[in-house]
Amino acid sequence: MIPAVETPDRAPSSPAAPVRRIALIGNPNTGKTTLFNALCGVRAKTSNFPGTTTSMRTGHAEAPGHVTLDVLDLPGVYDLDIDAPESRIAATLLEGARGPAPDAVVVIVDACNLARNLVLVGQLLARRVPMVVALNMVDLAERRGLSINAVKLEARLGVPVVPMVARTGRGMAALRQALDRVHLTAAGPGPEAPATAAGISHWADEQAAAVSSETPSTRAHDRFTERLDGVLTHPVFGLAAFIAIMGTLFWILFALATVPMDLIEATFAEVGTLVERLLPEGPVRDLVSKGIVGGIAGTVVFLPQICLLFFLITLLEDTGYLARAAFVMDRWLSRFGLPGHAFVPLLTSHACALPGIMSTRLIPDLRDRLTTILVAPFMSCSARLPVYVLLTTLLFADRPALAGLAFAGCYLLGALAALFTAKLFGSTILKGRAKPMILELPSYKTPSLRNALLTARDQGLSFLSTAGTVIVAICIVMWWLSAYPKVEAPPEAARLRAAAEAPALPNDEASALLAEAAALEVRTAQAGSFAGRIGHTLAPAFEPLGFDWQLTVGVLTSFLAREVFVSTMSVLAAGQEATDVDEGVVAKIRGMTRDDGRPVFTPATAASALVFFVLAMQCLPTLTVTRKETGALKYAALQLGYMSGLAYAAAFLLYQSLRAAGVA
Amino acid sequence: MVPTATSVESPGSTAVAVPLTTVPVGAVATLREVTDVDSRPVLRSLGLTDDCVLRLCQVGDPCIVQVKSTRIGLSNAVARCLYVVPEAGNR
Repeated sequence: MIPAVETPDRAPSSPAAPVRRIALIGNPNTGKTTLFNALCGVRAKTSNFPGTTTSMRTGHAEAPGHVTLDVLDLPGVYDLDIDAPESRIAATLLEGARGPAPDAVVVIVDACNLARNLVLVGQLLARRVPMVVALNMVDLAERRGLSINAVKLEARLGVPVVPMVARTGRGMAALRQALDRVHLTAAGPGPEAPATAAGISHWADEQAAAVSSETPSTRAHDRFTERLDGVLTHPVFGLAAFIAIMGTLFWILFALATVPMDLIEATFAEVGTLVERLLPEGPVRDLVSKGIVGGIAGTVVFLPQICLLFFLITLLEDTGYLARAAFVMDRWLSRFGLPGHAFVPLLTSHACALPGIMSTRLIPDLRDRLTTILVAPFMSCSARLPVYVLLTTLLFADRPALAGLAFAGCYLLGALAALFTAKLFGSTILKGRAKPMILELPSYKTPSLRNALLTARDQGLSFLSTAGTVIVAICIVMWWLSAYPKVEAPPEAARLRAAAEAPALPNDEASALLAEAAALEVRTAQAGSFAGRIGHTLAPAFEPLGFDWQLTVGVLTSFLAREVFVSTMSVLAAGQEATDVDEGVVAKIRGMTRDDGRPVFTPATAASALVFFVLAMQCLPTLTVTRKETGALKYAALQLGYMSGLAYAAAFLLYQSLRAAGVA
Repeated sequence: MVPTATSVESPGSTAVAVPLTTVPVGAVATLREVTDVDSRPVLRSLGLTDDCVLRLCQVGDPCIVQVKSTRIGLSNAVARCLYVVPEAGNR
């Protein structure tokens, strides 16, 4: 009999009130997200379940009679009664403990794994939740020679059962009509489902056997799947396949994301110029054109990488490959206290730590997820590239082979720091080892493009609405610190400008004088700004690393984003902003001198700065995302404090060692 | 966590349960005991319940088993904690 489980407060507004609010629930890999996308299309948004870091999608769907349904996509669960975050969230939500309980649920059941999926159905029946069973992937079951009598199953369960293929849309109309048939009064029709776990499992087996053309046999072989699993999880071939697949994924990411990123930067530069033309000169114009437009550009520029990454990952996940890849990487990462799932975030962080940290949502265990989030920014992201290029070129001028080695060494140092930190945290603040992996290996399937596109869109919007607004605000503050207070132009600049206006002077010489004057003005403005003053104040703290006040300003301004270091140094060196590291910029930065006339960049200083930038947490947007994803400021503070401390200590040791060894 | 014995007495049966990792690939066996208490709920939710019949598809890391039509990957540390009674002819 149905066990006595307390039923939630699901009081109907009328004896046969139509369903208004539905929740989608199902085992992982049953096509739940695909069904959600098919139901809601683009009318969806991603947020977190209240009080948790588990993401939640909500949307609206049309039902017969022009009824709009609120649809909630619950996390994938196998069992409502086990002590797992997703199960707790789903169970409490169904009980109405996180706001109003849904009027009904759609349980997505994999037709190929009917018996196991019916366990969840049995648990929901025991809770007397009004439901529709969406019998998904019937096409795959048919191809395997398995047919399920949906009418018979409906009669046995006492709830509507709709055979369907969410990926192609087959059965969607029937599902919408079935939702119209579910009424609040329909709860708990009374099929026999025992209360114990073993009992429900046995009950599910019986139901499946009664409605299936054949009982799925443990003895049945799927030779294609077994052979492919043999290769993709093999210690050698599996690793080779992993490198090939992930290499291709990241090549696509780097190659394709560059185009829209360049376009976004160019568009916002044009917008900034247009604003400067339209508004009168003054602080408001500077705020809009450089602060606000620059801040929005600094946020939106991350979108192509985030959307493209989630698009590609969703495609891979749909194929069933990611579960196999997790096992391949688990052999390596588990030695450092990281789970196999961490490979996606860590690899992604080589492009950008923001999507990398967001993709830790794939990791089921909270400790494993926190560890991965904390170490992900050690991976050398694309924003570090211009800094690495500049500093390795300064370090090994005219020795490109050594510069190349140093460049590769930066990537290695970042990865080693991540692994070392994961091990350290695993034995201290995040005690424990990565959980041994237990994963369902889903069937190999053709991925859904529509599903991947909608997921990419959702993740992009989620980024903009959560982290984006904070990042824009930070960008504006950092711009203000770098631009204010305005200082008087130095007399030397006025003298140069006057000299340039001499009538007998050739044009090229006049231009050179004007450029020199402009450089002097920018340099004076930079030094007199709040950021410059802070740089001067903090310079003694960075002196043991070999940094003077100019390098200190570079470190401070690049706290917004690492790549800002190059433009700051070029401003300080020549009074001209530059984001690309060309020969002219390198030559000017190499020629920079300290107040006492010594060069700013000696080999020891360049090496120290390089190590500092490999290890330091010089990225405010990353900290913002860490705060959002962990749900706690303390983890962002820990990340900042630990990475900055480690960077400082490593740069200090290297600089002092080189000095002691006689390297200038 | 990791069992110290190489086999356990199967409750209610004279058959001796052995670690899953010692069973030959392709063997069909009945799950008798899981000595890793932490993993039990997850295994159960995936269908690896007491007395379920499973087939060993792959040994090593991961160890892959099939329960009905569900394929489950287990890291070797977990697989060592699963004690099974192989069907006659699989021992």
